[in-house]
Amino acid sequence: MTSANGLICFTNCLLPQEDGSLVEKDLWIDEQRGIILDSQKTFYVNKERPARIIDLGGNILSPGLIDMQINGAYGFDFSVYENDEAYQRGVQMVAERIVETGVTSLLPTVITQEKSIYPKLLGLLKPFSTPTSATFLGWHAEGPFIELTKRGAHAPAYLLPATDGFKAFEEVYGAVNLTEGEDWIMSRDSNPAVRMITAAPEVPGVMNALEESVKRGIIFSIGHSVASTDVATSAIQHGARLITHLFNAMPQLHHRDPSIIGLLGASPHLASPIPISVHLPCNLLEMLPLELPGVASPVFELSSPSPNRKELSWSGINTPKTPSKHQSRPSLHLEKGQIADMSFERPFYGIIVDGIHCHPNSVRLAYSSHPDGCILITDAMKILDPHLKDGVHEWRDGKRFIKEGERLYLEGTTTLAGSVVTLDKCVRNFSMFTGCSLGEAIKCATYNPAKCLGIENKKGTLRPQAHADFTVFDRQGVVLATWVRGKEVWTRSI
Amino acid sequence: MRLIIREDPTTVGDYIANYICKRINEFEPTPQRPFVLGLPTGSSPIPTYKSLIALVKEKKLSFKNVVTFNMDEYVGLPRDHPESYHTFMFREFFSHIDIPPSQVNILDGNAEDLISECKTYENRIKEYGGIELFLGGIGEDGHIAFNEPGSSLASRTRIKTLAYDTILANARFFNNDISAVPRMALTVGVATVLDSREVVVVVTGQRKALALSKAIEDGVNHLWTLSALQLHPWALIVVDEDATAELHVKTVKYFKSIERVQDEVERTQALLKARGKIAEKQVGSLE
Repeated sequence: MTSANGLICFTNCLLPQEDGSLVEKDLWIDEQRGIILDSQKTFYVNKERPARIIDLGGNILSPGLIDMQINGAYGFDFSVYENDEAYQRGVQMVAERIVETGVTSLLPTVITQEKSIYPKLLGLLKPFSTPTSATFLGWHAEGPFIELTKRGAHAPAYLLPATDGFKAFEEVYGAVNLTEGEDWIMSRDSNPAVRMITAAPEVPGVMNALEESVKRGIIFSIGHSVASTDVATSAIQHGARLITHLFNAMPQLHHRDPSIIGLLGASPHLASPIPISVHLPCNLLEMLPLELPGVASPVFELSSPSPNRKELSWSGINTPKTPSKHQSRPSLHLEKGQIADMSFERPFYGIIVDGIHCHPNSVRLAYSSHPDGCILITDAMKILDPHLKDGVHEWRDGKRFIKEGERLYLEGTTTLAGSVVTLDKCVRNFSMFTGCSLGEAIKCATYNPAKCLGIENKKGTLRPQAHADFTVFDRQGVVLATWVRGKEVWTRSI
Repeated sequence: MRLIIREDPTTVGDYIANYICKRINEFEPTPQRPFVLGLPTGSSPIPTYKSLIALVKEKKLSFKNVVTFNMDEYVGLPRDHPESYHTFMFREFFSHIDIPPSQVNILDGNAEDLISECKTYENRIKEYGGIELFLGGIGEDGHIAFNEPGSSLASRTRIKTLAYDTILANARFFNNDISAVPRMALTVGVATVLDSREVVVVVTGQRKALALSKAIEDGVNHLWTLSALQLHPWALIVVDEDATAELHVKTVKYFKSIERVQDEVERTQALLKARGKIAEKQVGSLE
């Protein structure tokens, strides 16, 4: 059923807001253009009102869920390449079917590969969608510049250092895949384009490559790493904005060196102007512009450990791409409830909320310390399929998985090998584990990932002009229907 | 004039909504002969709007053939500002009912030529044959629309400077920042309201009690502009118990007795009509 004038009004529904609240409000969309409308403007300026009204019976009309870490689904593995045609068919199949889990956008992960495969694979993962499918946003290369001891299920033989810095990235991923954003997308379809690299900042050369990647609009995520607190902090200061599957494949929280996990609690005191790291494995100091600031803060002067360090200014820490956000307060303050400004923003973090990869207590701990950075991910393997039975399943290279409920092991080991949880289940789990409201859980699977990926004008939001991708939840978080670009593409059969 | 007293703001809203519903349905509006309705903003009419929306959802009422004119709008406030009356009307009423947007009229406080905007507005009302029913509310100082104390009782749609009282009262909608409250508004005049065939005014809450008493128990006075309603042949004021606090017991009793008699007359007239004794349409109250 379509609307006579192409406009639809959703009524009697709760709309998740960007602050995590749920408000009872109508939403107007243009089903032809597949976008959300500014209803008041449509009414007064365009003198139109929707001809079709959909009563959602008090359920939740959420922005479509975004899964920004997923390895495959329905038997198709994003990291297995046979030929172009088979790969594209696989991508399309996943895009068409994944909507039953409420996911309308996803970022496919390519895990560590033999290096000659990358240029081809990443080239195939341009933004993609069909009128009835979820949107593939681009690609996420997880590896090969990761730490051997935290490799998880990644093949050790293929891990690499990035001794030549960004050149090493170009050589592995393909220079053409790492060009400035605009050039990479080429065909200007309306889908936003996302590229993401997970690497370990302590691996030789990675810190050097980081800054150049960020400059080119590639999102850098810290993961599969043993970075010390100093190195991890420095990576954030150089533009890394995300932590890959928090708690997994990284040092556990140690109170004297809280490492990557500790970034969630980054102290305003230490995150302030003083450059943190002196022991970087890469040649970090050379990368920083060495201009003196006009006025040096007294705190800064006092705490400068060497004359050489004095030359590094606050603004020197911030790259030109991320102009000085906040300057830390030079003194203590008296405003209850206010946190002294940070000189850098704490990173987003992806967290697998299947109850297996992270204990519910750990999930709550992370969320409590940095709610705005929390992003729910599935990190699901190719056997993700809500219809699939337990048992032994083929992986690749002759290896096999054992699936027990939502647990997934490499056959013959106790190594967790990714998950098979769906993102809608993660939302419900998250609300249970943390005790947060459903609206706040939804935010962690919609607005937060969109914000992290820089696509919050198009996806993960109900702002006017954003894509009309929706997940309709009942009030217990069960997906009832999924909409993509203004069309209903899936409904739960009762 | 009739005065209807109900228990609280909700029952006042229900009463007015049912009344307007009945009036529109009896009018049998068509695209050629729409029902022209004047509408207010503010907190007092919200229960009425809620109740009207419910009637539309229950399919007992439709605004397909209703044309609306709003009373007023701030000058210089962007149309999509959260406190603009455009925003108020869309949020509280228009978005929930079935009125075609082309049939909604609100003064444009951002018009380049404000005087001509006001003139055009008056003319548009005339083109529709005048307003059938004007719903209004009042301020604590007895103002109807933005016709502040001292406004001419013969006034038409025009630019008005807001009284200091009104600015103070509205500051709560602008983060209690008095300097952010617009100083001017466009508003229909007292005479514009009086020109409509019927006027219905909602007055609720103790804070409006003095204004109500001044408007109906004292003489016609431009310091309490609602009092001009005394000159209107078909006016209805619906109030809650709190709003009657300043009225004489005698006044309250008198109006309560009118309500009973009116009900009786309406019953007999309806019976006559049912038996085919009344051919033409009758409008108006006892007076």
